[in-house]
Amino acid sequence: MSENLDLTPEAAVRAVMQDILGLDAEQVAAFTSETELFGALPELDSMAVAGLLTELEDRLDIMIEDDEVDGELFETFGNLVAFAEMKAAE
Amino acid sequence: MSAALEYARYPSKGHDELCLRVGVQHAKTILLVPPLFDEMNRMRRMLVDVMRLLDARDIGTALPDLPGTNESLFPQEQVSLVLWREALAHCLQTLPECRHVASFRGGCLIDNISDDSRQWRFAPAKGSMLLRRMMRTRIASDKEAGLSTDMAKLTAEAQQGQVNLAGNSIGSAMFSELQDAEPAPPDDIRTAQLKNSAQRGDVALPGSALWLRAEPDDDLLLSQAIANDLLSWMSS
Repeated sequence: MSENLDLTPEAAVRAVMQDILGLDAEQVAAFTSETELFGALPELDSMAVAGLLTELEDRLDIMIEDDEVDGELFETFGNLVAFAEMKAAE
Repeated sequence: MSAALEYARYPSKGHDELCLRVGVQHAKTILLVPPLFDEMNRMRRMLVDVMRLLDARDIGTALPDLPGTNESLFPQEQVSLVLWREALAHCLQTLPECRHVASFRGGCLIDNISDDSRQWRFAPAKGSMLLRRMMRTRIASDKEAGLSTDMAKLTAEAQQGQVNLAGNSIGSAMFSELQDAEPAPPDDIRTAQLKNSAQRGDVALPGSALWLRAEPDDDLLLSQAIANDLLSWMSS
């Protein structure tokens, strides 16, 4: 009952961004790899980032270490998806 | 949705704790076990909307303040999951008509309080996730203040007594309980998840994950879906 449904890393990142920012699916579907995140979206503060990382860990069954997280990771949607794909493939 | 809100009290460890009540006069009552830590603040408005919607369908609800939260005078660094479970059991004793317990997120870690009550859960959360998120928030705020902290340091600090995480004083007992806490196995428990969740449940409800938002918000679509599912569960 609590088993995870199969979710691609990109779909997981989109779903979490949708929840954190309170957007609808169409708005998040419009995010491209160049979409700017941290600094461009006021809702994405450091507390929201803490929630985002933890939620990605849960949804993708990965562990993210403190030293893997830097500012560059949250610059664009593409960076975040690439990171999630890299972690999921480990 | 103009139902009157009332405050009742329940005794716990020598303190009087508050319990928000709606629809005291109804024959049936559901005990709502709130989410834990800051998730409770983000979801409280949504939960109170659920209480008002249920009142309109002749179901009463009780939403207790856990010791150490909201108006409680109990020292926050002394609370633990065990103590919260005991407090909920005391609260349940003040509700003789209550045979249904609905728990939300981290509340699902402390909801096994009665053998004669039926249980319903919404988006159960693991203790380790709540803890990691709070540690990350502390690490981020330390970083903004020019300090360097990591999870290992915070874990060591917790073991020595208590650690302040995202505005919560977490004592060593609570810290170690959260590291391992998972919702008790769902025997006969109805579990609801959000439609866009990666987790499978008995039912998928529309609405958004308010616990991830930067600010508290309401979500009437979700409140209505929860109230409707609770009603059909109670009559099943």
